[in-house]
Amino acid sequence: MSNHFNNRTLTVSQKVYDWLLRAYPPTHREEYGPAMAQLFRDHCRDAWGEARGWGVAKLWLRVLPDLVKTSFIERLAALNERKSMTDKMTALMQPRTVFLKVFAVVFLLILCATVAITFIMPESYASTARIKADSDNPSNDPYFLQTTFEIMQSQAVLVSVIDKLHLNTVWGKKYYGGETLETTNTLAMLKSRISLAPIRNTKLINITVYSEDKNEAAQIANAIAKSYQDYRIKVAAALAVVSLNRLQEQWRQNEKQIEQVRAEVSSSGQQLKIGSVISDNPSPQEQAYWDKKQYLDGLLETHKALYAKNEVGKLDVQIPKTVLVTVTDPAVPGHSPVRPNKTLNIVLGVLFGIFLASIAGGISVLIALKFRKRIDKSAITN
Amino acid sequence: MAKPKTDPESSLPLTPAVFHVLLALAGGERHGYAIMREVDASTDGRIKMGPGTLYGTVKRLLEAQLIEESDERPDPHLDDDRRRYYRLTGVGEQVVRAEAQRYAEIVELARGKKLIRKPA
Repeated sequence: MSNHFNNRTLTVSQKVYDWLLRAYPPTHREEYGPAMAQLFRDHCRDAWGEARGWGVAKLWLRVLPDLVKTSFIERLAALNERKSMTDKMTALMQPRTVFLKVFAVVFLLILCATVAITFIMPESYASTARIKADSDNPSNDPYFLQTTFEIMQSQAVLVSVIDKLHLNTVWGKKYYGGETLETTNTLAMLKSRISLAPIRNTKLINITVYSEDKNEAAQIANAIAKSYQDYRIKVAAALAVVSLNRLQEQWRQNEKQIEQVRAEVSSSGQQLKIGSVISDNPSPQEQAYWDKKQYLDGLLETHKALYAKNEVGKLDVQIPKTVLVTVTDPAVPGHSPVRPNKTLNIVLGVLFGIFLASIAGGISVLIALKFRKRIDKSAITN
Repeated sequence: MAKPKTDPESSLPLTPAVFHVLLALAGGERHGYAIMREVDASTDGRIKMGPGTLYGTVKRLLEAQLIEESDERPDPHLDDDRRRYYRLTGVGEQVVRAEAQRYAEIVELARGKKLIRKPA
């Protein structure tokens, strides 16, 4: 398919350029036309090798102004060589004729270039996967969305997408003649094809991926959603382990404290021979005993609460929080390409063509008037 | 066809496009695309000539007899017969030398006024 596209793009470009060479005067065209066409072919082939369709499109953007400028110069130079120059120039340099001719040539050139570039540009499909992302933090985190976007475009998420879809090899074959790409290069290419957008007043995020292959676009969008989901599960599991360790440490300390306070209460109770009921008028030693006993009761309550928390923590470690990210709509291959927008490009080409052609026409009229003045002057002096 | 001027100084200053084409040919004979690539490489891509500019310049240089078309091929087996090779004429070489000298004098002048430094 690549070769087919290659041939088509280059053949169309060459044909258009060969046709555009008519802008030059016949003598110049006969002498240098084949060499210029050959040079354009060489350049076109190299531009394609460097950046495929974009390379050829950029070449056209450079070649067209050159063609307009130099064809005008060569036309003027050819006119200078003619013997009956004065008559012909006077006829040719009629402002209205000049304006219409230049307007038509420039407008047609721009329109042809727009059409050529629009049809040369590789078609691109878009696929969107939609996810619902919740914050780990139950309170409202104002930076959650920005953080999520950055994480989704980070190595932590995208490298696993590259590995899973073998993008180093696949894109190496597709764009670099079979050479396996470095992950950093693939990462940069991948980032340039991703677009992330939140859906207003919801926790939903659209992950859109652009590719000239509609199936690849959908695969990548789904792989990013899955990779981000896995990343959040991993982070949540790691946080749960840390939290559980902290709770267990607290629980152990609480247990030690209980042992110690219980021993103190028991020895003090035996010394003071205190029963299970507090007397109406306790001595200071008895009051200290009762205070300590109350403290022990408090510790036992905390112990129970810590035990319950520990059990919940163990469950969090065993069963990760998968609900933090849910894929609400997986990406499906697009039906029609989203780029280039052919209608929009051509409409813009027409508008831009009218604008530039008017400017070029205006400038030509000024030049023509200047020439006419010079011709008139020379006709008087000679 | 215009006759070559006997005094190379009278052709100066050259336009950037003409100077770069002559500089490219100072390294030996070349075809159009090779000239274009040489100019692109030697100016770090700052001067990119389109086919129209290149062959317009070539045409004027041929008319001024600063360059001439060459029938020889560096390696006929490796090259396309349709390619046209160009080389400097004696006058062309004198002109490009004179222009380079003129630039060198300008650079020296700018150095004297401490506008640029000597390369390390």
